[in-house]
Amino acid sequence: MSARKSTLFAAAFAAALSSAAGSAAAADLDIPVLVPVTGFLALEGTSQRNGAVLAIREAPEGVTVRSEVIDTGTSPEGAVTALERASGRGTPTAVAASMLGTQMLAMLPLADEYGIPLVTVSGTASITERGNPWVFRFFPGDGVTKTAHARYVAEELGKRRPAVIYQTTAYGQSGQAHLRDAFGKLGVEPVFEEGVDPGIRDMLPVLTKAMAANPDVLVLHLHSGPTALFVRQATAMNPGVPIVAGSAMHQPSTAALLEPAELRGVCAETSASPVSGGSPEMERFTAEYRTAFGTEPDAFALGQYDGIRMVLDAAAKGADTPEAVRDALAKGTYRGLAMTYHSDGRGNMAHSAVIVCYDGSSRVPAVVKRYDVAP
Amino acid sequence: MTGVAQLLVNGVALGAAYALVALGFVLVLNATSAVNFAQGDLVMAGGFLAVALAGLIPLPGILLLPLVAALMAALGLLVSLLAYLPLRHRPPVSVFISTIAVGIILQNGATLLFGPEPKAAPPLFGGGTLEIAGLLVPKQSLAVVAVAGLLILGQHWLFARTQLGRRLRATAQDPEMARACGIPVTAMVAATFALGAALAGAAGLLLSNQFFVTPTSGSGLILKAYIAVTIGGWGSVPGAVAGALLIAAFEVLVSATLSYSAATAALYLALLAILAVRPQGLFGEAARSRA
Repeated sequence: MSARKSTLFAAAFAAALSSAAGSAAAADLDIPVLVPVTGFLALEGTSQRNGAVLAIREAPEGVTVRSEVIDTGTSPEGAVTALERASGRGTPTAVAASMLGTQMLAMLPLADEYGIPLVTVSGTASITERGNPWVFRFFPGDGVTKTAHARYVAEELGKRRPAVIYQTTAYGQSGQAHLRDAFGKLGVEPVFEEGVDPGIRDMLPVLTKAMAANPDVLVLHLHSGPTALFVRQATAMNPGVPIVAGSAMHQPSTAALLEPAELRGVCAETSASPVSGGSPEMERFTAEYRTAFGTEPDAFALGQYDGIRMVLDAAAKGADTPEAVRDALAKGTYRGLAMTYHSDGRGNMAHSAVIVCYDGSSRVPAVVKRYDVAP
Repeated sequence: MTGVAQLLVNGVALGAAYALVALGFVLVLNATSAVNFAQGDLVMAGGFLAVALAGLIPLPGILLLPLVAALMAALGLLVSLLAYLPLRHRPPVSVFISTIAVGIILQNGATLLFGPEPKAAPPLFGGGTLEIAGLLVPKQSLAVVAVAGLLILGQHWLFARTQLGRRLRATAQDPEMARACGIPVTAMVAATFALGAALAGAAGLLLSNQFFVTPTSGSGLILKAYIAVTIGGWGSVPGAVAGALLIAAFEVLVSATLSYSAATAALYLALLAILAVRPQGLFGEAARSRA
């Protein structure tokens, strides 16, 4: 080989290497967003979608993301159809998957069969208890949030006679079971417990019965509308005991239904409260979310944002296949905006919860207590 | 006793709003023999319309009410043109399905236009609570009862005292004979849909301030209206009002003494019992033949 030919060969080899290195750095990902944006979980599902979409829009340099939002509705078959449709053009790198537990349970076998990481903010405990290595939950489960809920009531407020009012949905019943367990560990016995259907429009009957049990605190685990309804009616009836609500209360759209004065002294558990600020990064996220969607972000949006950001971070470091993303999520640690995420070995990534309280002067709560639970 | 009275105060306000939903339902039923399963979603649409108008024109609810009713009447007209009139000579199940389709379109349209968040329309006169004889009565509840009462009386007056009402009743009782007498039956049917939607709009405004409105909030209401009409007697306007007040009071009292789940079960058991003893409902005629 002549010197000239050797030089050309070396140059071509170097160019090929450079090209290969370049393609590894410029990951091309497919991350469909399969969430409920219609039906009874549309409020939470839309927050979830917005968080995922914002994260994808802010993909790191060198990472190209192809994404499509598919409405799963609220039926399990809707979720499975959406996953089949998203997989029709090739295996997605990861999926922003429905926060509805029944939909997640339906998607899990398919994710296992196709090998697709599901990144969700679903709170349903059982989705990470089935030994499926493809599911990753970026929202604290009831075991974390309800422990914080009960501890704040018992340890910070010093209350020993809670009246617990919960929703009769799977969400509500799971929360009630964990609340009962958490209160039990604290030596606290609820004096009253009752489930309320989400369609109930008058909360006075349950409030009347709860107050007849002489509680020293009202503990709610209700969806958004019922929470606002209860707080409004309770404020009007002036029961004289504090209210510590579930995570629906921290959602800005729930607070928007009530006057600031009606919120005075009301507290709630959640994983984070983006509108409360707390760090420049959180405030930047909130501002960008407002600009992008014209609405206020909540913890579901932030959890899904953090989850997809962790996927993108892994991709930027070279994880551009579903298997590589799964391994990065399962073994890595990621400092998100809400908290630092790492798997407990079953896909539970979030292990912190906070309590927020309203002071009666605005609809923006303050974070008053943070609980970190060892996985 | 005060506790029961307090519960009943709330129950009456809730029942008054249910009655408006049931009335719209009965109107269409009487005029067309068709069950309008979009009636609950029309209430939802009225609620969102009130929210939207309040965003554009910051007025108290009482001043928005006529505007909401008028716009909803136009929507009712559209529903009759698209979902009832082309199907009126088809088997009844066609109209049944088409009204369900209208409801789903309204739900998804509301989600697209307003998003999934619960929203609240402005109060009729103002918020706050009054203390009357030891009872705490929300001003909005009083306003709801008053406005619903006026609308119910207004509807009674329309049907009993006006030429339009007589034509509407004639159309409902025997469309062929009405047509033979020169009554424009198609226009009367469309007017009935418009009136039913106007009542739904009023109910939507009243309910959405106290109980909020979401794209799916109409689904539960139509079931309540259906039960109210069945208890009261199919086709009976006083029966629909009485049925609505009864189920609201029943729900509130059983919920307060037992539980919400027990109240739901008891409501359906009571419905079965009423149907077993009086299949025509409490206010219905023993036998009814329809053209």
